[in-house]
Amino acid sequence: MSENVIELSNVRKEFVTTKHDPGWRGAVKGLFTREKVTKVAVDDVSLAIQKGEIVGYIGSNGAGKSTTIKMMSGILTPTSGTCMVNGLEPYRNRKKNAKNIGVVFGQRTQLWWDLPLSETYTVLKEIYDVSDEDYKERMNFFEDVLGLQEFIHSTVRTLSLGQRMRADLAAALLHNPKVLFLDEPTIGLDVVVKDKIRQAIREINGKYDTTVLLTTHDLNDIEQLCRRIIIIDAGKKIYDSTLNQLKKDHGYRCSILFEWKELPDSEKLERLRNLSEKAVFEGQERGGKVTFNKNELSVAEVIAGVMRILEVKDIQIKETELTDIVKNIYQNRAEA
Amino acid sequence: MKKISRYMRLYRIFAVQYMKTVMQSKVDFFIGLGGFLISQAAGLAFLYLVFQQIPTMKEWTLEQLLFIYGFAQIPRGIDHLLTDNLWMVGWQMVIQGTFDKYMLRPMNLFFQIVCEKIQFDAVGELLIGILFVGRAVAKGVVQVTPLKVLFFFISMIAGSVIYTSVKLVLASIAFWVKDSSPIMTTAYDVADFAKYPVEIYAKPIQIVLMTILPFAFVAYIPSTYFLIDANILKTIAAECGIAVIFWLFSYHLFKKGLTIYESAGS
Repeated sequence: MSENVIELSNVRKEFVTTKHDPGWRGAVKGLFTREKVTKVAVDDVSLAIQKGEIVGYIGSNGAGKSTTIKMMSGILTPTSGTCMVNGLEPYRNRKKNAKNIGVVFGQRTQLWWDLPLSETYTVLKEIYDVSDEDYKERMNFFEDVLGLQEFIHSTVRTLSLGQRMRADLAAALLHNPKVLFLDEPTIGLDVVVKDKIRQAIREINGKYDTTVLLTTHDLNDIEQLCRRIIIIDAGKKIYDSTLNQLKKDHGYRCSILFEWKELPDSEKLERLRNLSEKAVFEGQERGGKVTFNKNELSVAEVIAGVMRILEVKDIQIKETELTDIVKNIYQNRAEA
Repeated sequence: MKKISRYMRLYRIFAVQYMKTVMQSKVDFFIGLGGFLISQAAGLAFLYLVFQQIPTMKEWTLEQLLFIYGFAQIPRGIDHLLTDNLWMVGWQMVIQGTFDKYMLRPMNLFFQIVCEKIQFDAVGELLIGILFVGRAVAKGVVQVTPLKVLFFFISMIAGSVIYTSVKLVLASIAFWVKDSSPIMTTAYDVADFAKYPVEIYAKPIQIVLMTILPFAFVAYIPSTYFLIDANILKTIAAECGIAVIFWLFSYHLFKKGLTIYESAGS
């Protein structure tokens, strides 16, 4: 389990564009003078991913997620630094690398647009030299998990987004790649389809020990699939750790909502306010809310403390959600 | 060898897939073919009209000119039939980032682009070409010897390679400028000049046709040697030389372009 399947060291990618002034004047001016603007999409990113990991790669729009994936899949060449996937530099060994990886770009399909879906798979079978036996087995698997049979004979352009995404995922997995890159695989999908996609990813990972790197804006994807997350912002890696660690580091705030059996008098309220100097009490209509730091107090202590003062009808524990944590991290970056 | 047979098999598969797509839109196919036949007919009508006014053009008779015309159509048709999809590189793939999908597949990129489409419109060009060359042979405008037949085929292949190379160079420019279709269109209009004798044009155009866009070598120059029995060997060798040089250059440029390909944001 110590084999690094993906290794990026100091990877940087710049795009050079020409600056355009707005309006007609700008357009005419642009014909004569060209001001070059260098935009750094990925800035000195280093990371290592081991075999069999499912890693969530997240960041706000334009943070550099897709650019990183495009470098790992051989579409883009880094401006500097090296990127190794299965011991190959993808942009130098594009064809070899392509056999090892499967890629799904949520925004873009790789299926044959004008033909029935089944044709895409027969062509891919030939391209990747998949044996008849493997082909049959994998198609059965996809039909089970992704429910392809409902639309396998439809023309690709008539598929709904959810169907297309399932079909794209199957297409990326047909040759059983060692590494799977998913760029927003659940974008725009309904809950049921999202679930199918997640289940397929989990099963493939369990069955073949496939390494998965996925970008997403849906943090439920992350919570259900990944043990580790990497956060990138403005091209820089700003966080890389396990999901549990992230929650420990940033998700220490916890609040417990209580509903009282009968309303407390002022004396009891006073005692609740003085429950602990490490906790904050807020009275609410028919109950109260205690907010505290989990590193300093335990949930049990707080509940026990409250219940010693008065009788409680209902308790609700609210951990900080991943969304809040991530929002916090993005914002702190933006302010810094 | 194994590699070649794999690519041959893949080509067959892609061709079959493409046919299936075409079958789904039969009307489109016939409109394309019909349009092409009409434009060919217009070209020929033009030639006849000119010849009603002037009996010879720079010493060439109508029959000989028809041979040149036909001769020019064949390599152009072969190139058109097989590599028409290169247009999409210059026109859409780079600017829209759709080139990505080819880069994700373990196959040669040039092959993938080319094999995705067979342009049946080209049947019009090939038909006219074969018809006129056949007619010239039947009328005794050109003499048939085994050596000439051999050279004819070599010249057709080299000519197609020149066409494809020029197209690949111009398409590859898109990696730098994003959309190179205007340049491609212009070059294709220039290629139209190749079906008439080069001498009828002004000097600058003649120079362009023999150097930067060497379409003169695709048709007019080799075809005249079939007509006047001069040193065919030298001409064909020059044509093949140009084909090889242009191909190597264009493929190199294409490869170079790929390293700076920027995809498109998503």
